[in-house]
Amino acid sequence: MAWSRKSAMFGSLAIALYLLGLTLRNHQLVTVAVVLMSFLTWAALRAAHADVSASGRRMEERSDEEAGASLSRLEAMRKLSAARVFEDGTLDITLKVQNMSPLSKVLEVRDSLPEVMRIKEGANYILMELGPRRETVIEYTVECPLRGFYTVGPVCIRIQDSFGLFHKEKELHVYDDFLVFPKTEDLKDAFVKSKVPKIFTGAVNIRNPGPGSEFYNLREYIAGDPMKSINWPAYGRTGKLMVNERERDAVSDIILILDSRAVSETGPVSRNSLVYGTRAAASLASFFLSRRDSVGLVSYADEIISVDRDTGKKQLYVILTKLAGAMARGSTPLQVVTNRILPHINKGSPIIILSCLEDDSTIVNAVRDLRARDFDTTILTPSSLEFEFDARRLDRTGYEVLKTERDILISELRGLGAFVMDWEPDMLLSTALAGARGF
Amino acid sequence: MVQKGASSDTSHLYDGKVVRSSAPSRKALAAKMTGSANTIPKDAIPEVHIPSFVESLFGGPLVPKMKFLPADKMVQTLQMASGAVMIMLGVLTYIVTPVSGTAWFWFGETIGVEVLGLAIHLLLVLGAIGCGFWGIISRDSRFLLISYVLFIVVSFRFAASKVSFEWLSFDDELLQKIALVAYAVLLVMYIELTNGVIRFSMLDTSIRTGEVYVMNVKKVLTKYHISLVITPIIAAIVAITTLLFKDVISGFVGIFSEVSALRLEESVELESVYGVALGTMIVFSLVAIVFVADIPGRYQKMREGGSSE
Repeated sequence: MAWSRKSAMFGSLAIALYLLGLTLRNHQLVTVAVVLMSFLTWAALRAAHADVSASGRRMEERSDEEAGASLSRLEAMRKLSAARVFEDGTLDITLKVQNMSPLSKVLEVRDSLPEVMRIKEGANYILMELGPRRETVIEYTVECPLRGFYTVGPVCIRIQDSFGLFHKEKELHVYDDFLVFPKTEDLKDAFVKSKVPKIFTGAVNIRNPGPGSEFYNLREYIAGDPMKSINWPAYGRTGKLMVNERERDAVSDIILILDSRAVSETGPVSRNSLVYGTRAAASLASFFLSRRDSVGLVSYADEIISVDRDTGKKQLYVILTKLAGAMARGSTPLQVVTNRILPHINKGSPIIILSCLEDDSTIVNAVRDLRARDFDTTILTPSSLEFEFDARRLDRTGYEVLKTERDILISELRGLGAFVMDWEPDMLLSTALAGARGF
Repeated sequence: MVQKGASSDTSHLYDGKVVRSSAPSRKALAAKMTGSANTIPKDAIPEVHIPSFVESLFGGPLVPKMKFLPADKMVQTLQMASGAVMIMLGVLTYIVTPVSGTAWFWFGETIGVEVLGLAIHLLLVLGAIGCGFWGIISRDSRFLLISYVLFIVVSFRFAASKVSFEWLSFDDELLQKIALVAYAVLLVMYIELTNGVIRFSMLDTSIRTGEVYVMNVKKVLTKYHISLVITPIIAAIVAITTLLFKDVISGFVGIFSEVSALRLEESVELESVYGVALGTMIVFSLVAIVFVADIPGRYQKMREGGSSE
């Protein structure tokens, strides 16, 4: 049970008037003080104020039951419409509150939401009168503007007297987790529109039989062939056991390197290098995986997190999950990353680096190492200078100096043979990619 | 050579085709920005509310700064009730708080203009009513706060221990006490009702802006209305008991000794404000025992638990 500011003020006023009344021998003041105290006492009695204080135990020692009999028989359940959504997607939340008690209660219910979520429809804060042994359903929709792992809950319930003098609160520990993936941009059209049909060496049918998905030809059954590959209609026609052969896919290894160091979060919360980097990585992963390429992800922050190369939709979700959880921290240099991963990548594999290129003196050496081993290196660099400048957090002189330094670095990297794109905040990813590759 | 007043486009060079410059680059735009490099743009400074001394003392703004939507029916009803209570309180304040003993009365006497004390006294009551009226109509907590303070300040006076009303004389002591309790109850109810106007205006605005959703509004309001009737009655009963403590205690002692009861009844100390203090102490000691024994908690548990069967 807690005192509100109003009750604290009433209490102080009552004591002050009482003492003043005694000092001035003033009946009026004493009477007002007595009425105020009676008012408070009655409200406290009605709100069962003594249940905690009388136990003689500290607040943290009390159990849920002791938190107040009036709140002990309330329960809540929550249901989310999806466990995974993309940025800017919506989530429908259904909260069921049950009153198992035989008494009706006036409750304030607030379903705790992560700070970045915006309520699109309905409300997560409800004031209601819940009848005895009744339940009610609260529905609301939230918009998820930023990637990440999120938790909805707990459900905070408050019960207070009619005058708002005393209240009792309880948190129902009902939690639901969900994941917001970075939003992806459709790159397919952009690539088709480009003058060169394929930028990267992706999945190409190399006209050789082998494990793959496309039908290649029929051949006679050889002992040891799996039964599932027997073509039964062909057997019916020819009288010989025939098996389907499939065309082997040549799959490229695409490595995405995401810079999630602390510096990458420079700028506004929704517009910074890390946000853009994760969105680009998600779009690229989706694009390459849809082409049946093998995509791996390396994210470096205070530690290096990697997702091994693989293909398929499952890999996309693995990458998206890692991207959703990428946190800006630490300052691992790029060269540490390249030194660690280079021995494990096939020579010539395309490497796409998504970095703001700031606060790292090893970038040039790292890119030089990659180019020396003939890796097709593309650098997409969202500029935190632009984000800061747009948010007017950077003055003109500072911007100019930093911009010049950045231009010099980009020129140097281009000189090493890397495709570098200075990605401006308003530019589409497909446009930035096309720019990087010189189309 | 550029001619003065000539068009700035280059159509004359391209046979009628108009060639305009491309959109300015961000870099160029940055270079054109005016202002010194040392000045920090206003919107670059995040909005941080630094609480004032009063706010930090009370743990938040003393007066809510929320802008309300036009009052709904419930708020209008509360406004009307507050207004009515305020008028009654104004009249009763004037009756039960004589000017004698006040600082302004002393000041008037000192400078030889006795009527000044009365004028200030009247002005304080009228000021309290005026501020209260404006506060209720405009739903402005600042004016309400001033009104509360004025209503309390007006009764600040050195008084004789005995209850005395300068403007109205009651022969019956009980009637005097009832008038006193009515004044106190009206003052507390005025504070509560005006507070309710602000509270329900905030709630109504939150509902209409979609911040809060309210289910069974009528039942919620009914509970408030019932409390508005019951609580002042209880407070009045407790206050009357306290004020009539002398009679209660002499009645109790009278069971054992009539002489002692008579002495108590005629006791100047029990009649004075200190007698009321003693009564208050005893009444609230009983209340404290109720709290220590956790009677409200046990009662609540009994009501909640009795149901499960």
